[in-house]
Amino acid sequence: MVFGPLSVSLAPYIQSSKTLSKWVTPVANWYANASRYRQYGFKYDDLVMEETPSVQRALDRLTLRETYDRAYRLKRASQASVLHKPLEKDQWTKSEEDVRYLTPHISNVVAEDAERQKWDTILVKKN
Amino acid sequence: MFTAARVSAARTAAGKRSFATAVTEAANGVKVAAVEKASSAPTASLTVLVKAGSRFESKEGVANALKNFAFKSTAKRTALGTVRESDLYGGVLSSSLGREHLALSAEFLKGDEAYFLDVLASFITSAKFTRHEFSEYVAPVIESDTAAAAASPAIQAIELAHNIAFRQGLGASLYPPSHPNFGLSDIQDYAHSVFTQGNIAVIGTGIEQAKLAELVSKAFAQASSAAGPTSPASKYFGGENRVAGNGPQTAFIGFGTTGAPSAEAAALAAYLSPAPSVKWSQGVSPIAAALPQGSSVQSVYLPYSDASLVGVLVQGHSAAAVKEAGKVVVDAVKKAAAGASAEEVATAVAKAKFAAASAADARAGIVDAIGAKIFSGSDASIASALAAFDAVDASAFSKAASSLIASKPTYVAVGDLGALPYADELGL
Repeated sequence: MVFGPLSVSLAPYIQSSKTLSKWVTPVANWYANASRYRQYGFKYDDLVMEETPSVQRALDRLTLRETYDRAYRLKRASQASVLHKPLEKDQWTKSEEDVRYLTPHISNVVAEDAERQKWDTILVKKN
Repeated sequence: MFTAARVSAARTAAGKRSFATAVTEAANGVKVAAVEKASSAPTASLTVLVKAGSRFESKEGVANALKNFAFKSTAKRTALGTVRESDLYGGVLSSSLGREHLALSAEFLKGDEAYFLDVLASFITSAKFTRHEFSEYVAPVIESDTAAAAASPAIQAIELAHNIAFRQGLGASLYPPSHPNFGLSDIQDYAHSVFTQGNIAVIGTGIEQAKLAELVSKAFAQASSAAGPTSPASKYFGGENRVAGNGPQTAFIGFGTTGAPSAEAAALAAYLSPAPSVKWSQGVSPIAAALPQGSSVQSVYLPYSDASLVGVLVQGHSAAAVKEAGKVVVDAVKKAAAGASAEEVATAVAKAKFAAASAADARAGIVDAIGAKIFSGSDASIASALAAFDAVDASAFSKAASSLIASKPTYVAVGDLGALPYADELGL
């Protein structure tokens, strides 16, 4: 994937450095808040495009609780969209709640597909 | 007679050569047994035996779930990787569950033992137990195990018989209930408690003892060294149970004892077996001639480390046939206790000895024969198990049979409850 949450990311490098993360975290939070999805009660992983086989499989791996909460957030945000205004401020997603609950599952599925591809095309050499 | 003695002597000499088993303990406490095979045999096998059978399980059905989790993702390779890589080596992986042991096995060409031991050991030391593998792969297999057991009256009868014969411990079923009460975390906890170094034995065939011991001490170095779960010593109770069921009308008539399994009990099972030695002919057992049309009788001999269950499974299309066959069986058991003729006992002993020896030719039979002995530290060679049959004579046989039927019988009927006989109607 070239774009989206599974694309090349500098985040691990920045998080590993104390100085860098100290400078970049406030900017990152400002950017996330400015994109306003948190004002509609979403988490970042709710925005991942789900119309692909990999993400569908990843969605199946959520716990029942996570699936329910995700559906609730989508419904609540749709209602807010109908009303043409964000949610009440106490319902906004806080930055500590905005965790990546789906991305690890997607990367597992992608890794499994890649492994299957590897075994399907492996060249066996006898020594 | 002279010829027979000569043949028997030749057989004993041959037996000594190929059934030697040396049991040692690797540096980390894992027991290692290399069973000698003819050196020309092209295949080898490895079985990792864990004291994790249903008698040790913490919740009903967890042992079965752990069996079905075998060969899924570990820290070293994924489930897919295990399958594909083993395909490339040309080996066969399998897992099976008994009441006492969980067996993880690999059969492969000689020379690939390092890879296959790594596959088996990585499940013991680093299985991941992921939630999605449980729901996608393991749970459906657990469900089908339960369904298969529920669809077979014979399995149902044997499971119920264990339950009323031994109640706890060996009484626990090999199959989970239809609505299991465990989750992934229970399976993980059970695996954590049973996968400990003192709880594991590795049995190899076609591999040298020294080489196997060296591989094992490396492979299981990371396994936990805590003590495994224990199960109280078995007690025999006996009793009667009846359940409604579909399929052939089935009755199980059995007798149990505690203590190490004896050759006499195996001989009694062989004595009761109506199976002929030549296909399509009538057997010579006292039961075979008297069995009514439309009924079948199978003898059952189930030895465990501290108890055994001997009996017969009677099946028939109609409950009347089962009743008649059941009476024949009970008469035969009483006759054995009263004193069977020397010829009949000799035939039964030869049959039982052959069955034991022939089972020990294959990997699964070897594991059944010596598994419990490896853990108890007694003589684990197959030759000694076979030698025990030579000591069985008519008086020892009758004594064992009469002490067996002196205990309360275990009787289970599965099928048409209105028509199937009660234990007292069969003369038990």
